[in-house]
Amino acid sequence: MADFEKNNAAVENEDDLFRFVGNDVISSEKIIAPRYSYWKSVFRVFFRKKINMFLIAVFVLIILIAFIMPFFWPYDMFENVSTAASYNLNPAKAMAFFKGSGIKYILGSGSMGNSIFYGVISSSKTSLLLAVICAAINMVIGIIIGAIWGYSKKFDAVMLVIYNIIANVPYILLITVLVYIIGSGFWPFVFALTVTGWLGIAYFFRTQVMIIRDREYSLASRCLGTPITRVISKNILPFLTSVIVTILATELPSYISMEVFLSYIGVGLSASIPSLGRMIQQGQSAFLQYPWEFWPPVAVASAITIILYLLGQNLADATDPRTHM
Amino acid sequence: MKKYMLKRILFSIFSLLVVVMTVMVLVYSLINRNVIFQADDTWNKRNLNDRTIYEYTQYQKFGYLNYTDYSSFLKQKYMESDGEAYTSNDDYKAAKKAINDPATFQQNPDVQEFANKYAADGYKIRYLQPVTFKSGKTKPGGNAYLIAVREKNVFFRLIDYIKDFFSVETKNQVKDERLTDRYIRFEKDPYSGLFAIVGSGTQHKYLLYFDNRFPFIHQNFIHMNLGTSYTRFRGQEITGVITSPQGELQTRSTQYPTMIGTDEYVETAIDFHSLTYNAAEGELSDLDKSQFTDRYTVYSYRKAGMSMIENSFVIGIIATIIAYLLGLPLGILMARKKEKLADKLGNAYIIFIMAVPSLAYIFMFAAIGTTLFHLPYKFANAEVKFLAYILPTISLALPSIGSLMKWMRRYMIDQMNSDYVKFARAEGLSEREIFGFHISRNAMIYLVHGIPGNILGCLTGAIITERVYGVPGVGNLLTTAINQHDNGIIVACTVFYTSLSIISVILGDLLLAKYDPRISLSEEGGGGR
Repeated sequence: MADFEKNNAAVENEDDLFRFVGNDVISSEKIIAPRYSYWKSVFRVFFRKKINMFLIAVFVLIILIAFIMPFFWPYDMFENVSTAASYNLNPAKAMAFFKGSGIKYILGSGSMGNSIFYGVISSSKTSLLLAVICAAINMVIGIIIGAIWGYSKKFDAVMLVIYNIIANVPYILLITVLVYIIGSGFWPFVFALTVTGWLGIAYFFRTQVMIIRDREYSLASRCLGTPITRVISKNILPFLTSVIVTILATELPSYISMEVFLSYIGVGLSASIPSLGRMIQQGQSAFLQYPWEFWPPVAVASAITIILYLLGQNLADATDPRTHM
Repeated sequence: MKKYMLKRILFSIFSLLVVVMTVMVLVYSLINRNVIFQADDTWNKRNLNDRTIYEYTQYQKFGYLNYTDYSSFLKQKYMESDGEAYTSNDDYKAAKKAINDPATFQQNPDVQEFANKYAADGYKIRYLQPVTFKSGKTKPGGNAYLIAVREKNVFFRLIDYIKDFFSVETKNQVKDERLTDRYIRFEKDPYSGLFAIVGSGTQHKYLLYFDNRFPFIHQNFIHMNLGTSYTRFRGQEITGVITSPQGELQTRSTQYPTMIGTDEYVETAIDFHSLTYNAAEGELSDLDKSQFTDRYTVYSYRKAGMSMIENSFVIGIIATIIAYLLGLPLGILMARKKEKLADKLGNAYIIFIMAVPSLAYIFMFAAIGTTLFHLPYKFANAEVKFLAYILPTISLALPSIGSLMKWMRRYMIDQMNSDYVKFARAEGLSEREIFGFHISRNAMIYLVHGIPGNILGCLTGAIITERVYGVPGVGNLLTTAINQHDNGIIVACTVFYTSLSIISVILGDLLLAKYDPRISLSEEGGGGR
């Protein structure tokens, strides 16, 4: 009630209500809008989904276990090779047979008495490393070449011929030949997967770039004489962030699957490197008889690939500015 | 349009040739050729020069080089002059002994002739010195050899391959003077009861005939030769390997050509439609004479099972049909129920199929199918053959369903806000009609292009599925050939796969242009993906 009276009193004196303000040239130039930071918004949208927090937590846990635990629990495939009684023991029997070795044989023993549990941990390290390194190399080369390929028409004509030829050479053949030539260690294998692996990414990216290239704002930019590199890096690439993340989401898990597949057909990593593919390959021949040798590496490979895929997809959704409302 | 297609086809042939040449360079030049001896017992048993000679004979067999031995040269030379008794010729004996002495062998006239003859053809002459003990006795495998070797050039290899690729049957196909009556004509076929085109002077006797096997009408006029297998199917032609029936012999009551017209019948598995010319020297054997009326006496047997390519195709095509029949409606359903339960379930399935290694879920379904439904696991052990096809077909259909669902949903959602959809709604059409006829027709434009590829892709088989279930199909031809260094099959597979993928793309474009009249192939610029 008191406030009302006070207001009434104020209204009576109109000069107190309005005040003359001079023309401020500097502040009239400013546009007042909420501050917008692209990447901040991306992460705001990304973490809005609770499932993403959970996935990241699980993924970090897997990474920590895969990269730290092998130092404490070194995996040796042949440590029990001389004791035939330790071969193919199911978890219960293995725990009884190897009394006192803690949880080492909690998942049973393999075809040479090897610990499945330690094997899976060491193998996931290889698979994760392989996926990250291959994806990084292929993505960087693929996107740079794809951007130029989509932008330059002369380059396009040349690259299409090359693409038509290389894409038709059977992929398995190419990898096998490379493995024969340069060996089947970890880095040669990375080389085999990346030497033509970027081509598919580049081709996909080329099409995306071509769509953006002929948009009006790009044309305008070109008319004003912006150099190509700047048009690509400032006009086109930011537009394609969500496309890049989508590619990443499918690429990362695909190398893990690829390693599993190649090991299965017999052109995988060499026997001295523990890998999920090799474990699956060794377990598959008797997977109905000794299921504990087959399913743990399959489960870990599937878990890693699904988590990577989901995280990538959700991040790709978040990088699309239309979801930032 | 015609000009455009011609250009496309010419370009396709060019890229096919380049692909084949690239693969030839890869397998013949880049792979260390010693790998073929890795698990070779004969190689391990041989020593010294014998081993080198064995290596050269193997290299020749695997198509790396041409190789000739001095002793076979001598044999041929003296056979011409002396006939069968050439071994008693003194010149021959001297020439043969000459290479045992590294100091003087080059003075022998036959050695010089051999060297000059092959050096002129671009061969390299290699002399392997005898390896002896101190006593002068030759070590085991240490015999002296004189050989001529010529590496095969990739370019010539390609030309040779193309030359032999197609062969057309003519009545002068068989080069044999004993054959006087040459013709190609219609005849009544005693085995099918219908007519057949029968040739004499051709390689095959029956050039066109009917029988009760799929595809019921068969021809032998044009033969496509993909190459010869080296190790996997020793010396067999790959076209024959993948298209000829497998499994148990299938006998039936039939007649030999000599029995035709009588009422004598025999129980045999011989396929008389497969008769080819017997070009062996000398007379036919008495048995052949009692059974056949002419020199077409080489035959193959009728077998009960399907050929490799049929096995793969049957599994593949059923899986593809299932995938389209389920994947497209499910994709439409997901788009209609966007962000509701059906969409979420579908997405979970898609993520599972996309992310999990295919090996993992194929084994998962194998485990479920064999333990819960008691379906046969390995193809060979199946008592009822029909049941053995179920699990491979399902394993193959599942990923295709997932990917079709994914893309159908994506394109449907992209189309959902278009003006024509709003218009259709304003017209009062039901949601079912809008989604089922209007949106899906436009969304299908993007998927039509892949249909020929999916159908033709069935011919190449499935690597993992066929391996897991032990299906005798073509899927593992390439992988096993690589493991066994069978360069013939590798090249053949490349030609086969590449041709199929090129044909698929062209057919896909044509189908797309047919399905969507707005798309024009021949014009530069507009449309296209």
